[in-house]
Amino acid sequence: MERGFILRIASLAVAVAAPMAALAGGDKPLYTVEDGNKVDPATYNGFKVWRAAACDRCHGPNQEGMVGPSLIDSLKVLTRDEFNQVLTDGRMAKGMPAWNTNKKVMDNLDDLYAYLKGRSDGAITSAKVKKMK
Amino acid sequence: MIAGLKHKVAAAVACMTATGMAFADADLDRAMKDPGNWASQAGDEYNQRYSALDQINAGNVDKLQVAWTFSTGVLRGHEGSPLVIGDMMYIHSPFPNNVYAVDLNTQQIVWKHTPKQDSAVIAQMCCDTVNRGLAYGDGKVFLQRADSVLEALDAKTGKVVWQATNGDPKLGAVNTNAPHVFGDKIITGISGGEWGVRGYISAYNIKDGKMAWRGYSVGPDAEMLIDPAKTMTWADGKMQAVGKDSSLSTWKGDQWKIGGGTTWGWYSYDRAENLLYYGTGNPSTWNPTQRPGDNKWSMSIWARDLDTGAVKWVYQMTPHDEWDFDGINEMILADIDVKGQKRKTLVHFDRNGFGYTLDRVSGELLVAEKYDPVVNWATHVDMKTGRPQVVAQYSTEHNGEDVNSKGICPAALGTKDQQPAAFHPKTGLFYVPTNHVCMDYEPFEVEYTAGQPYVGATLAMYPAPNSHGGMGNFIAWDAGAGKIVWSKPEQFSVWSGALTTAGDVIFYGTLEGYLKAVNLKDGKELWKFKTPSGIIGNVFTYLHKGKQYVGVYSGIGGWAGIGMAAGLEKDSDGLGAVGGYRDLQKFTNLGGSLTVFAIP
Repeated sequence: MERGFILRIASLAVAVAAPMAALAGGDKPLYTVEDGNKVDPATYNGFKVWRAAACDRCHGPNQEGMVGPSLIDSLKVLTRDEFNQVLTDGRMAKGMPAWNTNKKVMDNLDDLYAYLKGRSDGAITSAKVKKMK
Repeated sequence: MIAGLKHKVAAAVACMTATGMAFADADLDRAMKDPGNWASQAGDEYNQRYSALDQINAGNVDKLQVAWTFSTGVLRGHEGSPLVIGDMMYIHSPFPNNVYAVDLNTQQIVWKHTPKQDSAVIAQMCCDTVNRGLAYGDGKVFLQRADSVLEALDAKTGKVVWQATNGDPKLGAVNTNAPHVFGDKIITGISGGEWGVRGYISAYNIKDGKMAWRGYSVGPDAEMLIDPAKTMTWADGKMQAVGKDSSLSTWKGDQWKIGGGTTWGWYSYDRAENLLYYGTGNPSTWNPTQRPGDNKWSMSIWARDLDTGAVKWVYQMTPHDEWDFDGINEMILADIDVKGQKRKTLVHFDRNGFGYTLDRVSGELLVAEKYDPVVNWATHVDMKTGRPQVVAQYSTEHNGEDVNSKGICPAALGTKDQQPAAFHPKTGLFYVPTNHVCMDYEPFEVEYTAGQPYVGATLAMYPAPNSHGGMGNFIAWDAGAGKIVWSKPEQFSVWSGALTTAGDVIFYGTLEGYLKAVNLKDGKELWKFKTPSGIIGNVFTYLHKGKQYVGVYSGIGGWAGIGMAAGLEKDSDGLGAVGGYRDLQKFTNLGGSLTVFAIP
């Protein structure tokens, strides 16, 4: 709890100083990244969700696709609403699970989107990211 | 006339083979004794994948041509092979697991079975929606569906005779394995090691589908059907009773309940001993730090009494797995010379890169040697303790969570995955399709949620560095000495089951889509043909109207599938990823067909 609070403050500070930030609409950055692999806490959380849900088993360790499609490509095409809908309901016939029963994924869709969008935009240059200091 | 020829061969073989046990399935026995049939996935109960047919031989194999083809209508990974019993061929497909009975006289579809399965099961399958094929016995064709339903179909009509539900797909307990008929039982396993499924193997009565017994891989003695005083294992250089709580004492708390040890490989059976042999898979999760202990009996070779499931002996190859080296690969039974002595052996090529030879009656460990020289995660197997001597640099537990352990050989898909090897009785050697792939492995903490992936590691795989640049080898192996006799490099992993024949030819498929015939003696390539898609199926052979045919499924997929290329780390390009799986896309595309060859 206390730790979360401190991190939030820290992230605000970094966001101001960060060299790269994508805007999600309004002035709030969708993600913030430094040196290609240091990201804001929310985006870092998105990375953790990506790992925990084992998305790499289908989409590849670098999101470039395997049995499932490349998310580097897909995130250039999918709207934000479509992203949420695919995650929630899945694309069963293609093997994409419906994640609506997975609380970790459902509660963190924004963070997951931020992380994957950052990868797709090329702003986050490696799949593995660190939390900004 | 035609039938006459088949029967004549059958009678000759029958005379040589002692009659089996009282409960053997007479129908399957008859079918298997005729080498003109391919009545079980390995052609026999020993998993030898050897055919006594010799019309196609080293002298004429270069004249092979396509005789006919068949599309399964499904574009996914096609593993296993069809069955041939008499004039009928039984063809299966990946999910949705359609089955076709094709009359070899007319090549017409006599019946078709199209199971209705919830497509949600697709997402629960870890490595493509493969199915490793059908089983035959008692006038029935057996299908182990992806959604875990085991079906018995009337071989003449395709009508469902009985169904048994083998697991709960909502919890990730799905199936990819072929069921196996031994005696009056049908044996089937379970998948889902990446969903925290606690593995088991089950025996159902072929007559009515009633479960005869089920033995778990981990947990309390009674549920594993282990007798602490009678079940033996290799320890301190001899066979010893496993003792009380041999599994429970190797897990922290109740982690065994989600402990893995699934059973999706190929099983074998020794009638004289009435023993069933198979292997268990990885412990869940892939993050070793989270599950201290040896995690018995994941990663183990098992011998169970076919009638009761009672465990006669068990041997753990990879205690406390740190690399996803599932122990499920096939157990091949053969009587061979080991260090100058004729032994009844079990030979197993493990994912961990060691080729094991055990006395299949006693369970004694005889040989454990690397069957790819690049294997580096362990220096050797200590023959006294039976334990691999792990190299700290490649220990993902030693290096810890969130640390990327680099350069581990083999990769998680093993020096060999499920693609089965073959034995040739004339040479006494084993012919093994292998992977030549290494990996970086980074474990991380993961929470278990029922029915959700429970993996806990990120992997990157690439061709074995400082080698021939390819990702596979096809090798001949002396299991008595533990030595490679010859090794033929392949550009990609050889993910196809091999076939040996009395014609002194060995067949295997490649991921580019070639079916290849090589010389028994030295592995020299005699013939190849490019099929429509990459081959991950197993080669089989049969006689029809007195003529020998060889066939194989093509349809790339599985773990070695086409998309793997895209997953490679950019920075591993320098290690040879160029020319690795990425290149596969230049050679082949998705497919789903059977190609059958003959000499015109």
